[in-house]
Amino acid sequence: MKTSALAVGTVVDLELRQRVRSTAWYVLLGVSAVLLLGVTLLLLATAGLFGRNGGPQAAAAVVFFVLLLGTLVTPALSGAAINGDRDAGTLATTQVTLIHGWQLVLGKFLAAWTASLAFLAVAIPFLLIAEAFGGADAGVLLTSLAVTVIELGVIAAVGVGLSAVIARPIFSVVTTYLVVAALSIGTLVAFGLGGLAFPVTVTATDESYASGAVDDTGKVVHPVCDPPIVEHYDTPSYDKLWGLLAANPYVVLADAVPGRFDASGNPKDAFAAIKVAERTVQIPIARSTYSSDCHPGRDTRDTRAPQSVLDSTAPTWTIGLLIHLVLALVALGAAVRAVRTPARRLARGTRIA
Amino acid sequence: MDPTGSTPAGVVVQGVRRSFGSTHAVRDMTFSASPGRVTGLIGPNGSGKTTLLLMLATLLAPDAGTIRIGGLDPLRDPGGVRALTGWMPDVLGSWASLTTRATLELTGRLHHLPKARAAARAEELIALVGLGDLADQPTRVLSRGQKQRMSLARALVHDPGVLLLDEPASGLDPEARVDLRVLVRRLAAEGRTVLVSSHVLAELEEMADDAVYVQRGATVDPERLEALRDAPRLWRVRAEDPAALDAALAGRDDVSTDHLGRLVPVPDEAGAADLLAALVRDGVRVVAFAPASGEMERTFLELSREAGA
Repeated sequence: MKTSALAVGTVVDLELRQRVRSTAWYVLLGVSAVLLLGVTLLLLATAGLFGRNGGPQAAAAVVFFVLLLGTLVTPALSGAAINGDRDAGTLATTQVTLIHGWQLVLGKFLAAWTASLAFLAVAIPFLLIAEAFGGADAGVLLTSLAVTVIELGVIAAVGVGLSAVIARPIFSVVTTYLVVAALSIGTLVAFGLGGLAFPVTVTATDESYASGAVDDTGKVVHPVCDPPIVEHYDTPSYDKLWGLLAANPYVVLADAVPGRFDASGNPKDAFAAIKVAERTVQIPIARSTYSSDCHPGRDTRDTRAPQSVLDSTAPTWTIGLLIHLVLALVALGAAVRAVRTPARRLARGTRIA
Repeated sequence: MDPTGSTPAGVVVQGVRRSFGSTHAVRDMTFSASPGRVTGLIGPNGSGKTTLLLMLATLLAPDAGTIRIGGLDPLRDPGGVRALTGWMPDVLGSWASLTTRATLELTGRLHHLPKARAAARAEELIALVGLGDLADQPTRVLSRGQKQRMSLARALVHDPGVLLLDEPASGLDPEARVDLRVLVRRLAAEGRTVLVSSHVLAELEEMADDAVYVQRGATVDPERLEALRDAPRLWRVRAEDPAALDAALAGRDDVSTDHLGRLVPVPDEAGAADLLAALVRDGVRVVAFAPASGEMERTFLELSREAGA
């Protein structure tokens, strides 16, 4: 146990010294800090446009930007962890030591994760500024940080996994970026198109007041309705596709943050708005609706408050994190398999040393 | 087996085979290498030497056959074999931004040496391979020859009883080759089993006790080698007056010429002695009289000739 921990620690040490702590990495950290400063200042300057909720909105935007930055940097830090060593001729010389394959993979994963967390550390001051401006909420700050930490770990794991199963570093880095793109954008596209591709037919019955029922001032003088009008139409259905949204890191982030609503029940920031929107799609569309002026009791129009939507639906972030953790474990497992020695099969185009 | 190598550990390879898809890199290799001796693994490029060493170093699994290193099977006990074996690859990989010292320390720690012990061992090895001045420079500034020495030091980190050296002298200058030869002889004299692959025969000639010839993925049968020993060999002769030498050799039709002198085939060493005596008798002032090629080179070339025929 202790030996294993030491071995993993040695790999982390090696990895951080060799791959990560280079001049380019420090430059990248500096560039990120400048970017964050610019974005934070711009967002705070424009906060007035959002009206009274300008502060929280700007703070949420900064948090999303930090996640964006992290997900853009992490593939570069992790996506060549193993095949890069193979190219440099240092993988085999590591494999002939007493280190186990899983220790090597775990060490490389932890190092890549640590390196990407350095970018998050650079972002913390800006998050604090933004939160302070947006009516500091420790709950929001801590949850968004925790989710970002986990998401960066997932991407680091995917990068290390792909770097073990794909022979060429350039392809594994690009593939890791594609995975990030698939999760961040692909899920939204698939969700939107999927809903359109598989519509459901809704039967809508509309019963409205007959002419003369309402006078010029809008007062009901003669409460009699025309015969109901029944319509059939197709409408996109999303409740079955909700899992796609759950796999989106931004949705997971928004959903995990405690939702903040103002006195009239409206979302205070983008987190809460996204949360209500993606929770609402969990609820299947009613196949038949009834709207009636004469019989309010039969009316099926949804007038639920956002909070009750949240209370009645499944927490998306737990499902999303579960999906991401499975993805990370599969990737790391594949990496352990790929570096197993003595090797029986070699991937096409790879050389052991 | 004691992993520190205090108990001699040999290498025994029997009927080993390994292919990559349709490429049969190693078809049938059988040989053994003994403790205290340097065994040369001789064969042309692409004859399967590196693949064999990868199997011995526990990186590749053989498709068939058995390997024993210090009595251990690399397939069933790779950890045991790794503790016992130092491997110097033909690819000169190094952690480019780490110093030689850090490389050796970290390799030591990957071999489960405690931190202080790993640092002390790195210091010893830096002195052993003569990289003292460059020890605290990143390895990317090392020349090819210096990287070779760093690579050898890395293979020695855990004081292994078995050394697998894949083309250790390629790219070394003459002085470094001499150093390497002295070091390899010393490592063997300390009781280690040393297996050196090379296609630079002059270098092996000087350091190897035993030779294993490899051809197209298979080791050459000792009986075939025995037969080759009886084949005529070329002796190179140079005289003060080439004309006098040519006159003395006029009776023979099998003499050839290269830029260094005349090449005369003789059946064996007794035949060579007879030839020299005859030349001296004829009054030829001989200034050089020696085998035209080393024993290994001759065997190697003879084997290639046979294979080509």
